[in-house]
Amino acid sequence: MKTWQRSLMALIALLALFGGTAYAQAPGTPPVEFPYTGNRTAVWIVAQLHILFAGFILGAPIFVVISEWLGYRKQDPRYDRLAKEVTKVTVILYSMTALTGGLFIFVLLATYPQFTTWLINHFFIVFAVIYPLLFIGETFVLYMYFYTWDAWKGNKKARHIALGVLLNLIGSITLFVIDGPTSFMNTPVKAEGVSPVEFLATASIWDKMFNYSWMPLNMHRLVGNVTFGGFVAGLIAAYMYMGSTKDEERAYYDWMGFVGNMIGVGALLFLPFMGYLLAYELCDYDASICPYMMADQLSMFFEMQGAMIGLIFLASNYYIWLSMKRIEGVEKVRMTIIAPIVMIALPLVMTKVLTDYPAPDPKSLMFLLPMLLAPAILGRFIPITVSSRTVIKIGFLMVVVGNAIWLTPHGFAPTGAKLVAELELPSDWNFLALMPAKNSAAFTLVFVTVVNYIIYNRAVTQGTIVWGKIDYASQFVLIFLAFSAIWTMGLMGAVRSLLRKYFHTYNLLPDFTAESFTPTLAYSAWYITGITVVFYAVVSFAILVTLRASHPKEHASEGSPVPAGAK
Amino acid sequence: MGKAIVKIIVGLVIGAGLWVATMTFDFPPVFRWLFFGYAVLGTVVFLILDAPTMKVMSGGKALVSLLVFYAILCTVFISGASLWPQYDPEDEKGKIVKILKGKPNILDPWKADEVIARTKELDLKAKELTERIKALGATQAPAGQDAGAAAAVPASASGGDVLKIGEEQWQLQECYNCHKLKGEGGKKRGPELDNIGTLLPQEEIAKKILDPKSYKAEGFDAEYEKGKMPDKYKDLMELKDVQALASWLSTFKNTSVNTPKPIKMK
Repeated sequence: MKTWQRSLMALIALLALFGGTAYAQAPGTPPVEFPYTGNRTAVWIVAQLHILFAGFILGAPIFVVISEWLGYRKQDPRYDRLAKEVTKVTVILYSMTALTGGLFIFVLLATYPQFTTWLINHFFIVFAVIYPLLFIGETFVLYMYFYTWDAWKGNKKARHIALGVLLNLIGSITLFVIDGPTSFMNTPVKAEGVSPVEFLATASIWDKMFNYSWMPLNMHRLVGNVTFGGFVAGLIAAYMYMGSTKDEERAYYDWMGFVGNMIGVGALLFLPFMGYLLAYELCDYDASICPYMMADQLSMFFEMQGAMIGLIFLASNYYIWLSMKRIEGVEKVRMTIIAPIVMIALPLVMTKVLTDYPAPDPKSLMFLLPMLLAPAILGRFIPITVSSRTVIKIGFLMVVVGNAIWLTPHGFAPTGAKLVAELELPSDWNFLALMPAKNSAAFTLVFVTVVNYIIYNRAVTQGTIVWGKIDYASQFVLIFLAFSAIWTMGLMGAVRSLLRKYFHTYNLLPDFTAESFTPTLAYSAWYITGITVVFYAVVSFAILVTLRASHPKEHASEGSPVPAGAK
Repeated sequence: MGKAIVKIIVGLVIGAGLWVATMTFDFPPVFRWLFFGYAVLGTVVFLILDAPTMKVMSGGKALVSLLVFYAILCTVFISGASLWPQYDPEDEKGKIVKILKGKPNILDPWKADEVIARTKELDLKAKELTERIKALGATQAPAGQDAGAAAAVPASASGGDVLKIGEEQWQLQECYNCHKLKGEGGKKRGPELDNIGTLLPQEEIAKKILDPKSYKAEGFDAEYEKGKMPDKYKDLMELKDVQALASWLSTFKNTSVNTPKPIKMK
């Protein structure tokens, strides 16, 4: 796609935004009725697609610039190539973000004209000035970053990296700005003793932006986008690996898949805690949100989320396992016995500690920190070690245990009202369904993954990686990780949106349409899967167009095997 | 192959152990299956760990395997989500209609749709009455009656109706999510209310609903400080509904239940 075509697309998106706004201002415009899906689902589909593209184009540049910097610092051309290839895909998907963004505004205005106009009016300066300016600025910097790649190398590389940092800065501000109206719909400004409508009338734009869930949503999305970007980079690598015919190409894409997965998993480790922070703030805003999420209408959505996160952790650790297999000398790597002991004890001890000292009580850290640091500290004095293979296998056992704890519900009923004794956990075991147990499960998954990466790093320093010789199944693992991450994003996006219940803006602006109810998980799963497939199809097409078509011939020097020290 | 069989046997033994353990601790059957499922998952994981290396695929074969893999993923995710108990939206739809009935739509203050529908309805009634009057003869119409005057004066609801409305509000506002009553609902987020009628008069219960900071339940200091009870019902509920709910709650005077003592704060 040429520059003028991309610019035209961006222009269309902006026209859609302003044209749509003008359309909505026309008096007496009746809402459009979407056949088959209904209006709400139509908005959901377009919004979710837009968020997926936007998530990638905001998340990918973060690790792209880090990768470029690593390449510059280590003088390793693979990092630079990875960064450039991901940027190529980002540029195509940037156009798709603009296109779906424009479509989103059109659909929103056609289906909910009064509400959309109301929201735009409340955030007029954001929608009419700040967001378009940031969007134009980001477009300009992104294309400049991409097109100066080859020109700004050598002693100009630092300048190019600085441009990448600027791109990320604008991207992050754009995310934060658009999160304002989004989070406002969930947690509009309020004050004790004043009616929300009255308070809103006197609230400044900053009051509206800086609402309860704004910063937690920013953090959650920022980390989520990096995770997502990392896994999509893994997907790109998997496609290219599967399509490679030369050993050196396989070696490179094997390496790229590993790096993408490491970025994805690295950010994923923080995601459960960011999600917890967001949920905590939402519950703090209005305690009735909590039971709606965890015990009532959306409880099974969270069960599904638990299943997905569990699968993602299993798959990412399995990828490390497969990666270890291609390291020569891995059998020599050993680790202190304290590490597997802590792994096994962690769910039990942490559940007990968090029950007695619920988060965020700092006393819980007095018990947990020494325990988590024990392998590093006590391991120096206790000479008993076990093989890396044993540690990883115990880790897998604990990932399954962690998944089991996370997944075990209080009862097999969609709502508390329908819960009967035959479907409920015995009262003595109800702790398995409470937050301390769920948090300890999440922490176990994170701890095991960190230990596995430490083992991997030791294996790398002590052995030799044979890039390109990884088990072919690993490519399916990378594809699975990307697919599952996107699916989970769709699921949690639906949850965040549904938390508004029968309101457009929670407790402030009721949705009087017949569609303002909580849909079933099965219904949602169909649409989430459909959205994921469409997104996947577009991304796959973008990868084929940008990378397969311009198959590099100049990168012939990255053959395998590569000495471990050069990772 | 031998190792795989050993793993399957170990998995089955663990599964059976979990089944027996859950039976011993009186877990319902559905949980026994769930725990057995965890053992199966663990077995599958350990079988995959030592599975033989997959052969490299290329060209059409790789493409087909990829498409099949996607089809499997879609099927597994959709069927996995469908296997969980499903919430019935019909339960909520009726509630939402009741809650929103009569609520002002600030986006459409003139209620254009409602006004048009009401106008049509009244127009039809007027036509019908005109025809009836014509049939009876205009002279027989009662003297002094103002045809345009509104005749409907809402009859005051009887005591039984008020209690019924109060109970309905308990359900609609989902108070049961935090408060236990008649042994149902509540997750210790809020106090159990079976004896609230003894401790607070109806007007004070209404006051607490409208202004959650007006009273603090004894032993619920942290919840009070954090403002756990949402300060939203004065905006979301009609005053008559709040009074009906308070009236219904004031009938609960079960002294055998330890409802915490309300402490006046305002």
